[in-house]
Amino acid sequence: MSKIQEVKNAVETGKTKVIAGLVQEALDAGEKANDILAAMIDAMGVVGDKFSSGEIFVPEMLIAGKAMQKGVDVLKPYLAGEASVSLGKCIIGTVAGDLHDIGKNLVALMIESAGFDVIDLGVDVPAAKFVEAIKENPDVKVVALSALLTTTMPAMKDTVAAIRESGLTGFKIIVGGAPITQEFADSIGADAYAPDAGSAAVKVKTLV
Amino acid sequence: MLTKKENLLETIRGGKPDRFVNQYEALGILVGDPLMALAGPMPNPGERVVNGWGVTMIWPEHVPGPFPVHDEAHKVLKDITKWKDVVKAPSTEASEEAWANYVEQARQIDKNEQFLTVFGAPGIFEQLHYLMGMDDCLINFYEEPEAMHELIDYITDYKIKCIDEIIKRIKPECLFQHDDWGSQLSSFLSPAMFAEFLLPAYKKYYGFCRENGIELIVHHSDSYAANLVPYMIEMGIDIWQGTMTTNNNPELIKKYGGKISFMGDIDNGLVDRADWTQENIRKEVERACRSCGKLYFIPCTTMGLPMSVYPGVYEAVSQEIDRMSKEMF
Repeated sequence: MSKIQEVKNAVETGKTKVIAGLVQEALDAGEKANDILAAMIDAMGVVGDKFSSGEIFVPEMLIAGKAMQKGVDVLKPYLAGEASVSLGKCIIGTVAGDLHDIGKNLVALMIESAGFDVIDLGVDVPAAKFVEAIKENPDVKVVALSALLTTTMPAMKDTVAAIRESGLTGFKIIVGGAPITQEFADSIGADAYAPDAGSAAVKVKTLV
Repeated sequence: MLTKKENLLETIRGGKPDRFVNQYEALGILVGDPLMALAGPMPNPGERVVNGWGVTMIWPEHVPGPFPVHDEAHKVLKDITKWKDVVKAPSTEASEEAWANYVEQARQIDKNEQFLTVFGAPGIFEQLHYLMGMDDCLINFYEEPEAMHELIDYITDYKIKCIDEIIKRIKPECLFQHDDWGSQLSSFLSPAMFAEFLLPAYKKYYGFCRENGIELIVHHSDSYAANLVPYMIEMGIDIWQGTMTTNNNPELIKKYGGKISFMGDIDNGLVDRADWTQENIRKEVERACRSCGKLYFIPCTTMGLPMSVYPGVYEAVSQEIDRMSKEMF
């Protein structure tokens, strides 16, 4: 098995204790940092697919994300010297009135693992803060909104409206969360909807 | 006509109910026992409090309920291996005055019509992630399983101590325990991980309840958890409340009816919303009643108490269930 394949397998199976050593071994064997990173991104894609299909669960996804993070930490000094593989910026947050962060965090993890630079605004984020963040990051490609409560669905609608009314362009809006459906996403003018964290990462890649 | 209590028993035992059990009608739920008050207090809207476990809870005024704070400054348990130094269960010694009030509340319940029901929250899994945050909690199942087992045992023993005290005081007939085990699409833990960590804890807790006179165990998890039903049966749950439509309840009833009953199938996300209408509720209730049938099923919203977020929704659902009873029985 190649060193890169070993790294990929270690991310997929969440081997947080050995991943750093495996990444270093791959680098020592002459593999390019960007190739190793691409393998880890692929691994997280597999993890996302397995989560979407119900083959694995949230802990497996988190532990894989943690393994990837540890691998990236080893790669960072080497990546600085190579061309970036970033797919672009994504701003994410849970809308105003909603303090739920698990779903949002999972989506952030998967989007980041897919190769995006994620700006996480946290939970209970007012519409104005999303607009402000977009202004501060004019190169943003995707804005992701999360809501878990039926009571905060109107806040999601208001947030999409506020972003549209701001006149800012050049990015797509994706929404998700327990009560959110494709129908609701369409009705509030979002560009995309994803039912879970794995498919969110897949969907976001199609938006850029 | 059967009493509400008899009707529930006929429903879950596969007998001859004479109508649908209408949501929570057969449960006389006592919320806020004196030990829960010691483990609390919960904040009021606009407040921030530190509860009996040291967990900081906030309730911003524009948000529908309280929430634990899990930033680095407020997380109670930052390193699971040091839980013994950090986690201290709340006292289980409440004043006689507090108990007297609770005992009086228990006396008010008409036990011919309703099961005298103790409300239990949070659950064992919830207590874990309240202490350390959900992400750390789920990762710790992998990285520090031994410490997690120890902490689960500690929480379970605390819960048993609490229920023991309550049993001595009011002799409840039913325990309504909350512990959310999943999102709407999947369980948080894989069945194997659930079986390793939570099943033994709940077998012990619910087993204790059963051995000490509690005849009905109702467990709330408003989530997907169809993959955990065999373990629910094994740990002694009589009724799973909060089961969402994503579980395919008609299928579960066919497969497990007789061993466990299902209370829910009316998703809050669909009916309990700002734009609710009687017509929409009628449609959902009718679908639930017709597809799930008369036995091993209690039509109910997935809400964890007899209430709704939007005024009028709970009552509208009850009204439609009564209508379906007239049509189907």
